[in-house]
Amino acid sequence: MRLTKADKWLTGALLAAAAGGIALNMLLLSGVGAQEARVYKEGKLVQTIRLRPGYHEELRLGGQERYNLIVADNGRVRIAEADCPDQVCVRTGWVSLAPQQIVCLPYRVVIKVVSSEPPDVDDITK
Amino acid sequence: MVDTRRLIILGLLVAIAGVLHAVEGWLPLPVPVPGVKLGLANIISLVAIVLYGWRDALAVAAVRVVLGTLLGGAFLGPSFALGISGALASTVAMAYACRRWRPALSLVGVSVLGAAVHNLAQISVAALLVSSATLLWYLPYLILFALPTGLATGFTAAFLLARLPAAGR
Repeated sequence: MRLTKADKWLTGALLAAAAGGIALNMLLLSGVGAQEARVYKEGKLVQTIRLRPGYHEELRLGGQERYNLIVADNGRVRIAEADCPDQVCVRTGWVSLAPQQIVCLPYRVVIKVVSSEPPDVDDITK
Repeated sequence: MVDTRRLIILGLLVAIAGVLHAVEGWLPLPVPVPGVKLGLANIISLVAIVLYGWRDALAVAAVRVVLGTLLGGAFLGPSFALGISGALASTVAMAYACRRWRPALSLVGVSVLGAAVHNLAQISVAALLVSSATLLWYLPYLILFALPTGLATGFTAAFLLARLPAAGR
């Protein structure tokens, strides 16, 4: 079983696309300086939590059941606890740098880390 | 026309794909990206496409996801939406690639394409579910991991097909 030329081209092209996407990701969205976590539930912005050293905040989304417990501490944020079936959000762990995000699909919760000062194109081109 | 042998083998393929999918859920993957999976059920989709064509392969993929989520208690939930979209999209893409580009593209290439399309479909549905287009930024990371897993499942399917008795066809 050998790879054909087309196999290698396809794999190479996908690898290049992925690498390019990751590079673009870092360039466009990565933040230096102040970061904040935007918490979305069902597509709507619920709360913005500041991420800075020494700052602690907890936020509980949902009711007695179907909840996510979001903890921001010392410049990082994570979902500490949730009763969703897959626990993907909890296992994602701490995030602290844009463009990292935490997603809880079952409860449609997204936490995005963004730079408080939005990077504008001029910063990148210069 | 009832073809009993075909029905039995398709049923077996559904069962094998279901088991592979379940087992893969138990394996912890040492990667920092949540959502990355081996895609072992992809092997069965490839085998079904080669042996029986796209119609039966689609049926195998759909029945596998429906049964798997019914048994797991996630039927019609978010993981069902993710599973069915990924399974159907990748099967369609692989069947098309098999028919149109096969001599040039080997089964391994077809598998890599299937893995990439699987991720594309799933992340799109996930973005719809959480109404957040920025989730799509995640796709490059997923594709990066889809390449080795796609290669691995492609080689596995190719070796499996090479060793299947001709009577299976």
